[in-house]
Amino acid sequence: MPLNQNALWYKDAIIYQVHVRTFHDSNGDGVGDFQGLEQKLGYLQELGISAIWLMPFFPSPLRDDGYDISDYNSIHASYGTLEDFRNFLNSAHDRGIRVIIEMVLNHTSDQHPWFQESRSSKDNPRRDWYVWSDTNTRYQGARIIFLDTEKSNWEWDPSSKSYYWHRFFSHQPDLNYDNPAVREQMWKVMEFWLEMGVDGFRLDAVPYLVERDGTNCENLPETHEILRELRRRLDEKFPGRMLLAEANQWPADLRPYFADGNEFHMAFHFPLMPRMFMGLKLEDRKPITEILQQTPEIPPSCQWCLFLRNHDELTLEMVTDMERDYMYDTYAGSKMMRLNLGIRRRLAPLLDNDRRRIELMNGMLMSLPGTPIIYYGDEIGMGDNISLGDRNGVRTPMQWTGGWNGGFSTSDPERLYAPLIQDPVYGYPAVNVLRQTESEHSLLHWMRRIVTVRRSIAAFGRGSIEFLYPASHRILAYVRQLGNETVLVVNNLSSTAQAVELDLRRYKGNILIEMFGKNIFPRVGDLPYLLTMGPYQFYWFRLRRI
Amino acid sequence: MAEESFLSDDFLRQLINVGEVDILVGFPTHNNAKTIGSIVRTIQSSILRCFPRERAVIINADGGSRDGTPELVTGVSIDDVRRASNLSALRTLHSISTQYATSPASGLALRTILTAADLLRAKACVVISPESAKIESDWLPKLLQPVYRDDCDLVTPTYRRHKFEGLLITNLVYPMVRALYGVRIREAYMSEFGFSGRLGSQFLGQNIWNDAADGEGVDLRFTLAAITGGSRVCQSFLGEKDHDERRGADLVPALRQTAGALFSALETDFPFWSGVSGSESVPTTGSDQQVFLEPVRVNRKRLKEMFSTGVLELESVFKSILSPSTLAELQRIAQSGEDEFRYSSELWAKTIYEFAASYQKSVISRDHIVQALAPLFRGRAFTFVTENRNASADDVENNIEGLCLEFERLKPYLLQIWKPRE
Repeated sequence: MPLNQNALWYKDAIIYQVHVRTFHDSNGDGVGDFQGLEQKLGYLQELGISAIWLMPFFPSPLRDDGYDISDYNSIHASYGTLEDFRNFLNSAHDRGIRVIIEMVLNHTSDQHPWFQESRSSKDNPRRDWYVWSDTNTRYQGARIIFLDTEKSNWEWDPSSKSYYWHRFFSHQPDLNYDNPAVREQMWKVMEFWLEMGVDGFRLDAVPYLVERDGTNCENLPETHEILRELRRRLDEKFPGRMLLAEANQWPADLRPYFADGNEFHMAFHFPLMPRMFMGLKLEDRKPITEILQQTPEIPPSCQWCLFLRNHDELTLEMVTDMERDYMYDTYAGSKMMRLNLGIRRRLAPLLDNDRRRIELMNGMLMSLPGTPIIYYGDEIGMGDNISLGDRNGVRTPMQWTGGWNGGFSTSDPERLYAPLIQDPVYGYPAVNVLRQTESEHSLLHWMRRIVTVRRSIAAFGRGSIEFLYPASHRILAYVRQLGNETVLVVNNLSSTAQAVELDLRRYKGNILIEMFGKNIFPRVGDLPYLLTMGPYQFYWFRLRRI
Repeated sequence: MAEESFLSDDFLRQLINVGEVDILVGFPTHNNAKTIGSIVRTIQSSILRCFPRERAVIINADGGSRDGTPELVTGVSIDDVRRASNLSALRTLHSISTQYATSPASGLALRTILTAADLLRAKACVVISPESAKIESDWLPKLLQPVYRDDCDLVTPTYRRHKFEGLLITNLVYPMVRALYGVRIREAYMSEFGFSGRLGSQFLGQNIWNDAADGEGVDLRFTLAAITGGSRVCQSFLGEKDHDERRGADLVPALRQTAGALFSALETDFPFWSGVSGSESVPTTGSDQQVFLEPVRVNRKRLKEMFSTGVLELESVFKSILSPSTLAELQRIAQSGEDEFRYSSELWAKTIYEFAASYQKSVISRDHIVQALAPLFRGRAFTFVTENRNASADDVENNIEGLCLEFERLKPYLLQIWKPRE
């Protein structure tokens, strides 16, 4: 299958997020690797996804799951070699799957040779590659992100007797982007991977590149200048490649990351995700419509990235205190489920393994404006293990079969990088790819189906959205439109059956074709269009004037 | 069960869109444009502040307003309230309105609200009178919390009142309900109250709605139904109630809604109240009752004149209603001058009981019986005002307590004259 050659391929994409370590172990050492991932590309192709987003796979002490990089131009030995990566990349492209890799620009590991040199003496040529200070009082306006572990954004370095700046863990010193040499070096890193053929970068923690006194050190104009320069060089030398911003910010603060279509191609819509969960629990569309109303227009070449769950906690930074309390009370009854300002759980357990709610949430993910991301394992309803520390409970091995190590690895179970989920409900004997492949009614089959339907119509990826506001607040309805393609989406957020009347008069004369079963529904007339919907049911209708 | 056909199709459609709720706030209105907007805003703000997670709806049952009252209820924007009160909302808050009739009828209004509560399966409800010039933001939680959090079924209000305000309550409803039903509910005839969905549904299912088409005094019947049904009742102190200026002062309709409703209920509730002796207090949140004493002008002379004229002109009616000794005593005091006039607690209690028994026996038209009470009540009001003219708050309370005890003491007399059930 050829790659989608359209320059805006990312707007039509369905992205699958995976860490190479978690997916498949080809050599029996207990850790997933690129050869293993390559072996499973057929599975991903069948699922219907069109892009893979790989989490960091670079050499690293792995104190933050690879986001603490100690060498940007190589592969962590556990995952294979550069050659293995090249082979995987080429195979993915052969199957029409693009590859997006993680790039951590903001900081390195404290084990990175650059930092080792920088801390070695105040006279070292790389001293200015990081942010040093004789005091820990600068940039007091900057918040601490990892509240559960860090007390300050400054860390004392006894060897050079100075403080260094870190926005995340103290073992992740921030690079100094005021230094042109750093900016040049990081572009060279990106160039290295682009020349190898990667299709895009998910740029981690971009709001924090530059620090300035008297500010909160986030989203500064200087940061945007640096990002636009990277984009300019990308477009110049590697047209058709893509930059995705990780910036956990409010929509209005995110908007500048798209600039005039010359900064990022895509950005995560962080505030929407918790509100989808909130809307579902409240059985009320208000949180969802409200945040999307507050979402500014973005340039035509840009796109939002939507997700339900990912490798991090379900972040609750972009909600009010009242909303956060509600989310904790309703989705994280046990304190063990909470981490920083978020909830470290997977999709299925969050939704009580309720198939109807899982389908509804995926239905919204696939039909709201943006490019959807599926987190590995969520397509089969994998569970989590909150007894594992940090966010490791949602990063357990992929469950392929009900057999040895869930089909993930042939190693001794003790050697696995993390234990498999083994509880009776979500454990690999019950939840695995093989079993769901064999059952026509499995979640996996359903996910394949919805991905196929989503990909069948461009309006989902590129179309406009117009909300309908039926009188029942339990119904979230919208029209997606691109050219003469019109899709009506109706979601019942309620646990009970609902009758809803939709004002579709502007579509009078159209018939509705339900997109999954292709069944025809009555023609739209002057009267309100009446639908009855089962609990958590959703419809996608294609409107056709016949 | 509710009769769904009682509701208009349009209202039913609105209810379908609201769906199940936790909290329902009802406003029975009729030409309340002057006050309703600010009241609804206060209630919305209270919902956001005190019940942010609960599914809530505001229901307006309107009796044919011509001043835009329903539009004012539904037009209050929650966004404006949020901005003004700096509160955020998790949920959609619906405000819907229906016109239940072209002229006001408190019974129909309450029935509409109860039916909506029943259909929406509301857990806790509150009815707020639109006649208050203003309400405080804590009224809603005070009326709802005992129901929503403490499993109470009915929350009746108490207010900070002037000592001469609400004389019908202090001199008739309170002592009589207390003596007969054995429960010391200060405001059994309520304009604001909270109740559980459970109690609302039970009351809705009672066979009272066809007795009186307009359901006068249905609020009082609601309280009595809670008592006789064994529901958990409590009181909540709301503070001062500031009435809209145009509030009517016509005594006869007020008597129909209080004495008339009470007399009517006594008939059906006989098995209950005939077995009750003494009275018990009910749990009360906040102050039990507060009286303020600022001097007010009361036309006592007119009260006395209307009493004496009434006794004279309605002698034939009173002969049908009252015992000869009671009538003679009334005629005697009607002759006395203002300074000597005193309508004693004992005579007042006997009068009321004899009216109640006559109402039961339907010695004449029941409505005429209730109407005939008006001049006598004015005589009693004259005495209450006179006796308490210089009284302190405690003295006023003691006098009311004395009156209640007199009603309790004479309860056997009522049982004695009550017509045995056939």
